[in-house]
Amino acid sequence: MLPGGEAVTMISDEALMLEFQRGSREAFEELFARYREPLYGFFRRRLASKDRAEDLAQETFLAVIRAAVRYEPRALVKTYLYGIALKLLAAERRKLSGNEAQLEPEHEEAAQEIASDEAMWVRQALEKLEAGEREILMLREYEQLNYAEIAELLRLPVNTVRTRLFRARMALKEFLEPKRKLQGAKADGAGRERNVARPAAGDEGAK
Amino acid sequence: MSSKNHSIEHEELMAYLDGELATDRAVEAAAHLERCEVCQELAAELRKMSQEMMGWEIEELEPAEDIPIALAAALEERPRVARKPEARGRRRLFTPRRLAWAGGATALVLVALVFFVSRLSLGPQYDFRLREKPQAQVTDGHADAISAQLVSPNEASPSKSLSGYSGSAGKLEKDEDGEANSPEDDSRPEVPEIPMIARTAGLTLVAKEFDKTRASVEEILKRHSGYIGELSVSAPSDAGRTLTATLRIPAPQLEAALAELKQLGRVENESQGGEEVTQEYVDLTARLANAQHTEKRLTEILSSRTGKLQDVLKVELEIDRVRGEIEQMVAQKKELAERVAFATLNTTVKEEYHARLEATPPSTGSRFRNAAVDGYNTVVEGFVQVGLFLLSAGPSLLIWAAILFFPVRWLWRKVRAELKKNHQQEAS
Repeated sequence: MLPGGEAVTMISDEALMLEFQRGSREAFEELFARYREPLYGFFRRRLASKDRAEDLAQETFLAVIRAAVRYEPRALVKTYLYGIALKLLAAERRKLSGNEAQLEPEHEEAAQEIASDEAMWVRQALEKLEAGEREILMLREYEQLNYAEIAELLRLPVNTVRTRLFRARMALKEFLEPKRKLQGAKADGAGRERNVARPAAGDEGAK
Repeated sequence: MSSKNHSIEHEELMAYLDGELATDRAVEAAAHLERCEVCQELAAELRKMSQEMMGWEIEELEPAEDIPIALAAALEERPRVARKPEARGRRRLFTPRRLAWAGGATALVLVALVFFVSRLSLGPQYDFRLREKPQAQVTDGHADAISAQLVSPNEASPSKSLSGYSGSAGKLEKDEDGEANSPEDDSRPEVPEIPMIARTAGLTLVAKEFDKTRASVEEILKRHSGYIGELSVSAPSDAGRTLTATLRIPAPQLEAALAELKQLGRVENESQGGEEVTQEYVDLTARLANAQHTEKRLTEILSSRTGKLQDVLKVELEIDRVRGEIEQMVAQKKELAERVAFATLNTTVKEEYHARLEATPPSTGSRFRNAAVDGYNTVVEGFVQVGLFLLSAGPSLLIWAAILFFPVRWLWRKVRAELKKNHQQEAS
């Protein structure tokens, strides 16, 4: 379900943003309610720390408050918000790049304990993707942005977005293959069982 | 997975599944998908992958009843941030609600100003002026209206409404009433109808009778309900005395006071100036109202919400900052109103040149006395100098004397004996 698009009768994000520009606090509260979870999700999937994800989602809204006057209705609120979020994320990554090597493993261990197998597989497979392609795929799947929105956000031609998205999906399919085979072996009787034994063993050996 | 035999490429198929294909191609893709098994398989793969990706769920956020405290604080802060030059910001500045606040705050500040100005700064003279003014015929209307703003409604005499400037004064009073009854009333003026001008004047006089002139200056000041901002008199022994004063005179009476002051002597220099401060005043009033509103809201936030300690500290810091700003602005506004209500007159009164001649030549008696004092001083100074010399050079002189005493005595005796011998030889 698209963030902000739950009901057709709802006031559009853009109208809310304009209301907010005119000083309506209620409009901001509504925008906050619509985008709080999606923005948190955006940061949570891209950062190790839950607290930082929450903080950065809040900072995105802070930036919106401060820069609302500069918002122009020709940009979608969704892309406007994710644009801010991407900038904050880039800044956060730059900040982390120095000490990430020490911090990341701890968080990952903690995350591993909590996260389900499914999530672990997807996460690890995504990490193997090329950064630009991963970003496009994640924006498409998790943030539910369409090609044009992704193109606007990343300042790329729409066709490039489509090509890279396709490449990313094909690569991810490859990376997820061992998991499917493992699951196929567990399921014992699934349609793909003839392919299971060899690659699963190979995967375990690799791990 | 070659797409050679396919009318629809795999990438297009993906776009079709994403709903991103143009209609004509989408129709074709749908038809192709119906009959192509490879593509059906790919479509299934892609759908499955999306599902798998959705398997990466994240911890849910705790449901928020309200927006976080830091955001609430930023929202309160926002009008001031966005107020800058943009037209949009301006529009928002004058929303009815804010105008109501601004009106209320202005009224409060004005009442406070009357209180402070009359009680603290000016003392009894100013009270006298406030009571006298309605009767006094004024020449300069705008400043009268401005100073009328300093008068609280119950102090303002009804006769004021008969003057040509009753409009603004009346409106101001209405504002205060309006604030109490209907805070949403946005008909109150944003800008004072009459420009606020801070007037200054300079006057340099040369007076024959200095003391009399000085007394006259004070008398004129009193008559016009002014006060002395600063006054200094210098009286060098070899020149005429000079009085330098900064006089504060109610703006409407500046002309009359100046005319009277000019009668006191020969005008050596005169200047007048005026600075319009309406915009500054209006801006200050609006900013003040905003800041007070912000402070109130921040205080409410702090008392009614809980949040992270860090957020609470942030809000407290913000409140401190806003309060500092408010104090600064109240002081600025008070100073501005006073500059408008009271013109600044820099006066210099110089004593005429002949007065200096009288003072310069000392009498014969005092010249004798001065000579005697000088003589005494010289004698004392001489003794002191000798004493000092002896003290500093004495020890070394004594040593040299001791060293040289015997050789010199021996030499002296030898020379004397020699001379004696010569005398005796001559005599014999």
